[in-house]
Amino acid sequence: MVQPSSGDTRLRAAVIGTGGISKEHLGFLASSPRAELVGVCDLSPVAVAHAATTYATRPFSSVDEMITATRPEIIHVLTPPNTHLAIATTALRAGAHVVCEKPITLGAEDLEQLLSVARECDRHIVENHNYRFNPEIELLDGLLAAGSLGTVAEVEIRIGLPVTDPAGRFGDPNLTSPIHDLPAGVIHDFITHMVYLLAHFTPGVDWSTVDSQWNNHAGVAHFPVDDLDATLVGVGPDGAVHGRLRFSALMAPDCFEITVRGTEGYGQVELFSGRVSEVIPRPVGKQLAPIANMMIGGLALFAAGPRSLKRKIMQEGPYVGLAKFLDLTYEALGRGEAPPVTPDDMLTTSRLIDRLVAGRSPQIGAS
Amino acid sequence: MRVLITGATGFVGSYTVAAALEAGHEVTALVRPASKAPFAALDSHPRLTLARADLRDGRSLQGLFDEIDVVIHLAAAKSGDFATQFAGTVLSTENLLAAMTDSAVTRLVAISTFSVYDYTHLKAGSVIDERSPIEPNPLTRDEYAQTKLIQEQLYRDEMARREVVILRPGMIYGRDNLWHALLGGELGPLFLRIGRRAVLPMTYVENCVDAMVAAIDAPGVAGETINIVDDSLPTQAGYVTVLERQMEIPTSIPVPWPVMRSAAAVVAFANRRFAGGRAKFPGIIVPEKLDGRFKPFRYTNERAKALLGWTPRYSLETAFERSLSDVDLVAERAAVVS
Repeated sequence: MVQPSSGDTRLRAAVIGTGGISKEHLGFLASSPRAELVGVCDLSPVAVAHAATTYATRPFSSVDEMITATRPEIIHVLTPPNTHLAIATTALRAGAHVVCEKPITLGAEDLEQLLSVARECDRHIVENHNYRFNPEIELLDGLLAAGSLGTVAEVEIRIGLPVTDPAGRFGDPNLTSPIHDLPAGVIHDFITHMVYLLAHFTPGVDWSTVDSQWNNHAGVAHFPVDDLDATLVGVGPDGAVHGRLRFSALMAPDCFEITVRGTEGYGQVELFSGRVSEVIPRPVGKQLAPIANMMIGGLALFAAGPRSLKRKIMQEGPYVGLAKFLDLTYEALGRGEAPPVTPDDMLTTSRLIDRLVAGRSPQIGAS
Repeated sequence: MRVLITGATGFVGSYTVAAALEAGHEVTALVRPASKAPFAALDSHPRLTLARADLRDGRSLQGLFDEIDVVIHLAAAKSGDFATQFAGTVLSTENLLAAMTDSAVTRLVAISTFSVYDYTHLKAGSVIDERSPIEPNPLTRDEYAQTKLIQEQLYRDEMARREVVILRPGMIYGRDNLWHALLGGELGPLFLRIGRRAVLPMTYVENCVDAMVAAIDAPGVAGETINIVDDSLPTQAGYVTVLERQMEIPTSIPVPWPVMRSAAAVVAFANRRFAGGRAKFPGIIVPEKLDGRFKPFRYTNERAKALLGWTPRYSLETAFERSLSDVDLVAERAAVVS
């Protein structure tokens, strides 16, 4: 078992995989007082050399060599999803905690196996649920905690990303990646975000109905489906709950909207722009409350403009929650406590994704 | 020679294919799998072969170089975020070099760029040549310069294994590419014409590909780095004056270079002072990026002429005439020998 180095409270961290998301992880590790970046590993010598130079750490082309040489206490697994199970298992068995990109495995069965290894090794493994830690989601959490929304009755999550664009990473007809081979293709890479957010706002809900309509509207190469329209109905501790998940790989502009409707009011956020609005009971009486909500909503919308510009200039993109997720995870692990994303969170998410994907086959090719 | 050309369907690539055919070489044009009828005018050329592969996918390159003597590596990503350009330029080159490892390829004609130079620390008005220092702080530059700098290092590493000649073309202009980034930049809905008197480090595409093809079998160029710019380089104002006579140019607002550079310096100071340098602004108000496009320097092509025996074939005026004519320039050149 790897032990923390004496006198240094920072956790020794290593990263496997230098793809697009690695910039966020490496940026956090290179600047966090809770972490000491000890190595980065990738099969591409030039990619790993560039990452090592940029973030002042040691480059490796072999996971085993990196583990032996650096004895990391936490390993970030940022490789394609089909490799997570094997690499995360190696990391856990080497005595390291694991932070793993989503989707953590290709299904709940593999996740159960991975969690079993983690328990056996007395290590933690956490899947990146970064958007849960974005300030807009925390605002919704605050409204719920304050009772402003009442009890949750409906959650609608909508992502529009024209990822079929041939000029983009996924729509390029010349190149496929392991992401294209996921059970629901490229959309599978995004639905983890939608499902963990749904689960976050509907704790304890037993979804009796999961109706997922998968469509292929455009027939773009390498996209088995380009659209998901799923409705869910369940019962939670406070009664019936409805869920709606919409993903379109064709719609522009980019959007990531979450609406949480309760018995008293609703909150709506858009994570890419940071726009927020809330319609809740106001202390001005029932008759004036709609007017107060409209005026406050108008001001909030107006304020979203400058805030969006500031975010753009200060490079505070939608990944702002990732740094917070990592910070909380490192803080917890440093104290020997459980990380903020629990095995139950991951299993609930993974099992629901399995149910969504199970409804895929009949709609393949439909338009 | 048996020559493989990457990036063969691009603006420069198609002219390079034609020039290599004109020079009598057996040409394999590497095109991406989804490219459709890339060389309609050259389809029947007896010395042209198409090979379909994507350089970002190393597996697709196996066996491509078995019957190749020289590779001209043009392919690069010119837009997109860092990850996109890193994949399209750096990883592609890494894959190319790996696939060439056990091949009989004797020479790599490696296409780099003028963007690699350290414009900020070079004195305005000085001569930029092959000995000028390259950018020491890539992160201050745009993604294109960053990734081309890494790519050039890969080329230098490759020199231990085979003959490599690095060509650094200036801004390549030609048909559909006459209005370019060295004349100004967009700021929101506005197009700012930045500066008037800076000499433009340019090369007309048909001149540039002559230099590339000359590098295929020029003696004594292994390990050399060679800048490619034309003779009698115009100033920004001179270029636009010639251009205006022949085509409509975009409506733009003229901004003197000292004004723009000073504004960028103020923005950079404010960024450091109030935002810890973390704020990100459009490239034309970032000093290092601005210097890379508009700072006035002088240029020379003496080394290209001496080492490659190259002389630019077309003047600026003739280049404009050809670019705006109805002639199929690619077919015309290849037809010389077909």
